[in-house]
Amino acid sequence: MRRDTQNVLLVLLGGALIKISATELYLRYVKPANKWYLLTAGVVILALAATSLLRDAWLARGGRPMPGHHSHDHEPHSPWLLLLPVLAIFLVAPPALGADSVQRAAAGNSVAGAAGPSSGEFAPLPAGAAPELRLSDFVARAVWDRAGSLAGRDVTLTGFVVHRGGAAELARLVITCCAADARPMVVRLTDGGAARDLPSGTWLRLRARLLPGSATVADGYTPSVQVLDAEPIPEPVEAYEY
Amino acid sequence: MTAVASTTGTADNTSPDSPTVADPVAGTAAANSATDNSATDNSATGPNSASPNSATDRGRRPRLTSLQVFSAVLIAALLFQRPLAQALDGSTVRIAATVFVAVCVQALPFLVLGVVLSGLIAAFVSPAALGRLLPRRPALAVPVAGLAGAVLPGCECASVPVARRLIGQGLPDSAALAFLLAAPAINPVVLVATAVAFPGEPGMVVARFTGSLATAVVMGWLWARFGRPEWIAERVRRRAHPASGGARWWVFLETARHDLVAAGGFLVLGGLTSAVLNVAVPASWVEGLAGHLVLGIVVMALLAVLLALCSEADAFVAASLGSLPLLPRLVFLVVGPAVDVKLFALQSGTFGRGFAIRFAPTTLVVATVCGTVAGLLALGGAR
Repeated sequence: MRRDTQNVLLVLLGGALIKISATELYLRYVKPANKWYLLTAGVVILALAATSLLRDAWLARGGRPMPGHHSHDHEPHSPWLLLLPVLAIFLVAPPALGADSVQRAAAGNSVAGAAGPSSGEFAPLPAGAAPELRLSDFVARAVWDRAGSLAGRDVTLTGFVVHRGGAAELARLVITCCAADARPMVVRLTDGGAARDLPSGTWLRLRARLLPGSATVADGYTPSVQVLDAEPIPEPVEAYEY
Repeated sequence: MTAVASTTGTADNTSPDSPTVADPVAGTAAANSATDNSATDNSATGPNSASPNSATDRGRRPRLTSLQVFSAVLIAALLFQRPLAQALDGSTVRIAATVFVAVCVQALPFLVLGVVLSGLIAAFVSPAALGRLLPRRPALAVPVAGLAGAVLPGCECASVPVARRLIGQGLPDSAALAFLLAAPAINPVVLVATAVAFPGEPGMVVARFTGSLATAVVMGWLWARFGRPEWIAERVRRRAHPASGGARWWVFLETARHDLVAAGGFLVLGGLTSAVLNVAVPASWVEGLAGHLVLGIVVMALLAVLLALCSEADAFVAASLGSLPLLPRLVFLVVGPAVDVKLFALQSGTFGRGFAIRFAPTTLVVATVCGTVAGLLALGGAR
C-alpha cells in the first residue's frame, strides 16, 4: 500500500474512532470509561496522518524524495485490513449484544466468586416503594445476602426478555472491557402474565419480587421473580451493565 | 519497444533509488552489459526515479495505484451498504460483527499508546542510554527487563511495538522479549482487576504475578540460550536514523506512523479471528470440566489462546466460570496475556512469521507449566 493511501486510511480510522466516541455508539462496544481513550487515540491517529500528508506534499513540491522511499521494502498489504473496522463503523455500526448472546451462553448465572463479597454483607436496599437495582446487584443479593435484604421487598429491574428451555427470563449482559467479554445475568420470570409472552429481545422495566428459596445451586443461581408490573421500554443507551 | 524495455530494466538493477523489484530476466541479461548500461543510464535514473512517471518511462503500462483501489473499495462499499447490512442480519454473524468491532475499538487506543512510546524511544532514547539501564549479563538483564514490564499499564497490544523498538535500539533480544511477555500481565491495573474479580482469594493475585513473571523470565532465558537472531525479521533491527534537534520530531512522527500502519492491520486480523472463535467455541466446552483438573488446565489454556481477551478483563471472565477449580482458571490468566490469536497476528506482523511460529507455541507450553506451578505453590495445592 502506498504511503499516501496509508495516510488517507489513517485519517478515516482516526475519524471513525472520533465519531463513535463523540456519539453514544461506542457504548455498544466498550465500557463508558473508554470514551476518552478512544477520543485521544482518534485525535493522535488523525494528527499523525495529517502531519505526514502535509509534510509529504511539502517535500514533493520541493522535489525532494519522500521519507521511506529510499528503502527497497515491499510495501505490505496488511494495512488494507484496517479498512474493515472503518467500514464496519461507518456503514454498519453493529448493534449491542443482546438476547442472541444470552441464548448461546450456558444456562444459569455465573456468580460464584464474581459478585459475592466473602462476608456476605450487603448494604440495606435504598428506601422507597420499589428501588431501582442493577440486575447484577439483584442476582448477587439473591444468591449471597445472608441478611435477606430482598425479602418481601419490591424492586425495579431493567433488562430484555429471553426465552430458552421453556422458561422466560429477564437478562442483561455485563461487560468489563469490551463486548468480547460479555457475560449474562438472568432472573426467571414467573407469574408474569403478559410479560412472559413478549418476544425475545424486548426491553422491559419491571417491578418484581424475589421468590424465596430460588437462586440456589440447583437452579444455577437463577433467582425467580414474581412480576408485579411490566412496562416495555426502548433499548437504553447503556445496554450493558459494568 | 521490447529492446528499450530491457535496457531500462537493467538500469533499474543498478539504480539505488528504484522502488520496484528487478525483473529476473533483465537481471541475468545485465550480467554482461551492466558496466556500459550503468555508465550511460545513471544519468537517467536520478533522484526522481521514485516518481510515478518512472513506471511509464520503463515502457510498462501504468499500474493501478493503491489509492485508486482504495477509492474503488470505498465507493463499492457505499453502493452496497444496504445488502451489506442485511448480510449481517443472522444472529451469529451479527454477534461476530459486534465482537469484532469491540475488540478493535478496545485495543486501538492501547496500540496507539504503544506506537507513540515506540516513536519516542526511537527519537529520544539512544542505544547507549538504553544499554546502561540493564545489567550487562543476559542472565540478569532478563529478569530486570521482565520486572520493568510492570510500569507499562495497558493491554498486550501496547507492548508489541515497544518491544520491537527496544530491539531496534539495540537492547538484547532476550530482555526485550521478557519485557514483551511481562508487561501486559504484571502491571498494576491488571493485578488490581484480578484482586477485584477474586475477592477473598489473594492467592490468585500472587499466583498470577509469579506465574506471568516466571513465564517471561523463562522465555527470555530460553531465547538467550537457544534463540537465533535471524529468526527475528531483519527490518526489526534497522535502527531509526540518529537525529538531533527538530529532526528528532520527524523521526518520532515517521516511526509512530509506520508502526501504527504495520501493526494495525494485524491487530484487525487478530480481532477478526477472535470474533469468529468467540461465536464458534461452544459454551459446553467449559461445562463438564468440573471434575477433570488436567483436562481443565489444557482446555482453559487453549481457550485463553482462542478467545484473546484483554488482560484487564480476563480475570472477570475467569471468575465467572465458577464450576471450575481455581487452578485451571489461573492458567487461563497466565496464558492469555502471553499468547493468543491476536498477539500471534501482531507478533508475526511485527517480528516476522518465522519468529511467531517458534515463539508462540513455546510460550504456550512455558506459560501453562509456569501457571500450574505458581498455582500449586501460591494457592496451596490443586483447588
